[in-house]
Amino acid sequence: MGKLALGFRVINPPMIGFVTQISRLTSLIGGFMLATLISLTCFSVAGRVLNSFLHSELVQNIAPDLASFLIEAGIGPIMGDYELLEAGMAGVIFAFMPLCQLQAGHAIVAIFTDKMPATFQSVLMFIIEIIFALTLILVAWQLGNGLGDKYRSHETTALLELPIWYGYAAALIMAYVAGFVAICRVYYEGIALLSGQPNRLSKEQEQA
Amino acid sequence: MSDLALGIASFPVLLFLIFLRVPIGLAMFVTGLIGMVVVVGDTSVAFGRLRHESFSTFSNYSLSIIPMFLLMGHFATLGGMSKALFNAAESWLGHRKGGVAMASIGACAGFGAICGSSLATAATMSKVAMPEMKRLGYAGGFSTATLAAGGTLGILIPPSVVLVIYAILTEQNIAKLFLAALIPGIMAALGYMLVIALYVRLYPQSAGLRPRRTYAERLRAMGKVWPVLSLFLVVVGGIYIGWFTPTEAASIGAFGTGLVAYFSGGLTRKTFASSFYATGQSTAMIFFILLGAGIYNGFLALTQVPQEIGIWVGSQGFSPFVVLLFIICFYLILGCFMDSLSMILLTVPIFWPIVMTLDFTFVTLAELHAHRAAEALAAGIQLAPEMLESIQASLASGAELTREQIRALELRGVSKGALARLNTEQLAIWFGILVLIVVEVGLITPPVGMNLFILNQMDKKTPMQETYKAVLFFVASDITRVALILAFPAITLGLLAW
Repeated sequence: MGKLALGFRVINPPMIGFVTQISRLTSLIGGFMLATLISLTCFSVAGRVLNSFLHSELVQNIAPDLASFLIEAGIGPIMGDYELLEAGMAGVIFAFMPLCQLQAGHAIVAIFTDKMPATFQSVLMFIIEIIFALTLILVAWQLGNGLGDKYRSHETTALLELPIWYGYAAALIMAYVAGFVAICRVYYEGIALLSGQPNRLSKEQEQA
Repeated sequence: MSDLALGIASFPVLLFLIFLRVPIGLAMFVTGLIGMVVVVGDTSVAFGRLRHESFSTFSNYSLSIIPMFLLMGHFATLGGMSKALFNAAESWLGHRKGGVAMASIGACAGFGAICGSSLATAATMSKVAMPEMKRLGYAGGFSTATLAAGGTLGILIPPSVVLVIYAILTEQNIAKLFLAALIPGIMAALGYMLVIALYVRLYPQSAGLRPRRTYAERLRAMGKVWPVLSLFLVVVGGIYIGWFTPTEAASIGAFGTGLVAYFSGGLTRKTFASSFYATGQSTAMIFFILLGAGIYNGFLALTQVPQEIGIWVGSQGFSPFVVLLFIICFYLILGCFMDSLSMILLTVPIFWPIVMTLDFTFVTLAELHAHRAAEALAAGIQLAPEMLESIQASLASGAELTREQIRALELRGVSKGALARLNTEQLAIWFGILVLIVVEVGLITPPVGMNLFILNQMDKKTPMQETYKAVLFFVASDITRVALILAFPAITLGLLAW
């Protein structure tokens, strides 16, 4: 940690430790939310399978009391599993954004610019990072407006009657973190641009 | 500038931005957003769309398969499944000439059955197979090309992330698309093995040999593959039988591979976190492209470009196959520069409406019978009066001729197995599989084949030039397969009918 590959160079910009940690933290939060949603879906499917097994003729003939006891005890699909997955998923995806942003993990076509002069590329990347940061902030801002819409309309999910804005709120926090990391990257690219002579990395450094 | 002209002009602008190294998702997002603002005259529509677009894209139930399958792929590697698969395939094939390379292909196919990403398959399998090929003196370029090609099986063999996205773009059933991809995927694996067999005959120095393994050893190696096999059966089988939705299946798959990884000791706190980071990174990348594509396609819909192009192509009277061939060539060229997912998201919303208007009519058996019967009647065939009457009635009502009627008319030379006219769903599936294969070819074609880059990273001693040379053999096999599927849609649609 502490080093960041920016185009050609490895620099040690201010706050990089903090930014890296917060990006990793949101990734981990997203990962655990994803794991929770996966487990929830699995338990729901297991419950559904068991429930139909208990309702089957075989079990109803052999042990009707036990079967109805277990069904009464709540063995069955988890109510609203579908809704919970949908509500949580946006937060998960937004939580993954900051680390991707920090590590410049987005899909690019580099073949045509690779041959251009290094200074041109540095300027280009600086401009791209500015546009990216503006875009992510716009996304977060409009998501906030969307949250406002859902909050005022009191819209809820169909089964659990959870307010829709809960999901928006989780996503919004992560969207702003992504915007923050994008701004940091603009700053870092700016430093890299102004720090003078380009310092092309060796193959080994690119690996690390 | 009319809206239509603006929509058409946006495409070269977008490509220019992408070639200027602008991230693909960002380029689509910005072009679409600015386009919408220009068309409408203010920001109301564009910003109004943004209020809910990001949330609804990211919380889409079907799309949530993507992070799950990605996580499943990471867990599968941690659980030693890639190694088990390779060892099993290697124990059966390794003693043949080029056998370890064939085994790598087989193992890639197996890994592709639990992993939805080509890059992950290439990276994972090369870690396992590369050392063994090195040890037996396989030529560098041959080994890297084999594994790069094998990696594409990750997406060809279901489950497949690209197919999920295609299904959502064209509003098709994911389960059916997975099923349709199965035979082409197996064909791909066999085709690659054939390429290897030919290659080692052309260049005998490129592969070493090792002694046979005993059958006991082979069976022991096979025994270690059961988690992969059972996961594949539950996930893909369960989707097909309808036990659960594809998303539920992906959850079960991720959960199951997680358990396997945990019990095999591969899942520690550190690897757990790193699989979250890696999954997160790919997920964020994919979903940002999805968001950008959503905005861009929203703009295109405003300008009516996809419909207008569809109408224009339809009115030109081109042969449907020529149009399709043109699209496929376009993908092959674009694939040299762009990754598969971005290509699908960028082009399918434009190409699918065009393809949908094309009429891929294959004459059906019933139609052929009716045609011949009408000819025979016109020629004044002698028949029993009631038979003549019934045939005329059938022809008039458009009903299929019965076996007795056909026999009476002595219609011969009409063999069974003629194809039915493709309906929209079949067309979407057929086109989807074709597109899937041609965009995957892009992963192994120079100069920008992502799989080639990954292999180059794994094996730095082999110059890229050697990989390029050897990989062309595999590309040839891919193109042959595209031609076969183009000529015989039944290769993809056969399993669906059954």
